[in-house]
Amino acid sequence: MPAVAQTSRLGNILWPVLAWVVALLFFFPIFWMIFTSFKTDADAVKPEHLFFFKPTLENYLNMTENYNYWRFAINSVITATLATVFALVVGIPAAYAMAFNPGRRTKDILIWMLSTKMLPAAAVLYPMTYLTKNFLEIFDTHFLIILVLCLINLPIVIWMLFTYFKEIPREIIEAGKMDGVSTWGEIKDILIPLAWGGVASTALLCFIFCWNEAYWTVRLTTTEAATLSKLIEGNRAPEGLFFGRLSAVSTAAVGPIIVLGWFCQKQLVRGLTFGAVK
Amino acid sequence: MSKRTLPRLLQTPAVVLLLLWMLIPLGMTLYFSFIRYVLNSLRKPEWTVPSLSNWRGFGNYEYVLFHAKDFWFSIQNSLFIVVSILIFTVVLGLALAMLVNRSFPGRGLARVLLISPFFVMPAVNAVLWINMILDPVLGLNGLAVEGINELIRNLTDFPVLGAFFSMWPKFEAMSFRATQTSAYAVIMMVTWQWTPFAVLIFMTSLQSEDEQQKEAAILDGANPWSRFRNLTLPHLARPIAIVIMIQSIFHLSLYAEIEIVSRGNGNKNLPYLIGEFTSNNIGAASATGIFAVILANIVAIFLLRMVGKSLMD
Repeated sequence: MPAVAQTSRLGNILWPVLAWVVALLFFFPIFWMIFTSFKTDADAVKPEHLFFFKPTLENYLNMTENYNYWRFAINSVITATLATVFALVVGIPAAYAMAFNPGRRTKDILIWMLSTKMLPAAAVLYPMTYLTKNFLEIFDTHFLIILVLCLINLPIVIWMLFTYFKEIPREIIEAGKMDGVSTWGEIKDILIPLAWGGVASTALLCFIFCWNEAYWTVRLTTTEAATLSKLIEGNRAPEGLFFGRLSAVSTAAVGPIIVLGWFCQKQLVRGLTFGAVK
Repeated sequence: MSKRTLPRLLQTPAVVLLLLWMLIPLGMTLYFSFIRYVLNSLRKPEWTVPSLSNWRGFGNYEYVLFHAKDFWFSIQNSLFIVVSILIFTVVLGLALAMLVNRSFPGRGLARVLLISPFFVMPAVNAVLWINMILDPVLGLNGLAVEGINELIRNLTDFPVLGAFFSMWPKFEAMSFRATQTSAYAVIMMVTWQWTPFAVLIFMTSLQSEDEQQKEAAILDGANPWSRFRNLTLPHLARPIAIVIMIQSIFHLSLYAEIEIVSRGNGNKNLPYLIGEFTSNNIGAASATGIFAVILANIVAIFLLRMVGKSLMD
């Protein structure tokens, strides 16, 4: 059938080209941000320097001076890391219990956990402000941000871990029990080494979500615990006088996370669909 | 303590934490939604402290439903934004997933580039798009339109065609901070960010498609469109439903993008309206919050059912 052969030969060239064009188009805004970050603020808004300009590192070198970047970055690192650690510390035992010792209510509990994730944050904005500001006096502290980030990601963490743990044959865990290994020993010496990949990608994904969170980190902080989301939102730069420096600080804020994201793109599906798409 | 009790107790910390996290703030919202509670009032200073003696019944709900100026607008606008994003991401996501699911040179790298927007933090996404891309003067939008105008101006110098081009209007770049257009900007930037998510999920699902069935269809002479229509699309029905529901939940609570694009000028959704009420009228903010919870729940019930079905298999 020559007709089929012809179209497929054409397709062999056309489809890859189209796929690459689309991929590059989607990446273009990120590329443009990185590209602009090497222009001076003056060059960034001059049409004649749109593509050709003298690259400079000054935007990156002045990040601290212009935006106090490291202060916010350190807050992001601290809050995202500790929130992830706490989510795992609470989540691993819970997922272990649900995967290997399920009761009649386990399924309901899991579904209920997920439903807490679906509450619109804005609905409890004032109570959270009121509680943390007037009552507990933890407004704008690292502790509060860590706690909130941990809680909003806990359902996803438990779900992801649960789907990974369920793949481990129960007999292996049971065998440990026969040998008189304690529950803690089962988790530490049998489960975590076996599910290491799953735990790592759960942690990675949780870290990314914490880092990118932009509602509570902005609303529940002023200066002390403000993260990169707050820094960027506070510098939306009307009329773009500072395109160069804004691009640099934005690149610094998202760069590491995009790279981390590349490593866990497969796990993302599991994490965000709660194991419903395989 | 039996051998099974301790392992089961291990889920208690997580359950208790999530229970507190859900019940306390939501309970307070419910309480505030039934009382008169404002942050500043010279005339009625007693309203500035939450108290049962300021009981208002369903008054806040009534106020929000029938008197608050932006409530219906923001519901309508929330739905407009969410539905538009859903249509764009699902259609684009399907097309792109089919496109990158074939093998071609450099596929791994192309996929990585395509997925990247999903990991950009929302604040950066909004700042990047509204300033450097969509700005009508300094952004690429403005520069492109300026370039087109420049081109037309040069073309008018041509002998015969010049007369034709001189009749062309001077184009003007669209401003996306304006009242009517700021929703479009939000739709664009969120579509850019979430299409990769749809692609990822559809791609994962496409890989589990029954190849033999497909080959049989080819042998039977089914054309590509009917193969897509009758085999691939039914196979993707569930992932599509899941993409729609997960995105609905996320996009019903969009905030950073709306704040950065136009500070809610002409483009509010429920969370934004709640934020505005929160600057003074806590009663109304809480009643609106309860409406937002109800709206989110309608979507969530369907999602939870689907997830629940696949849970134990």
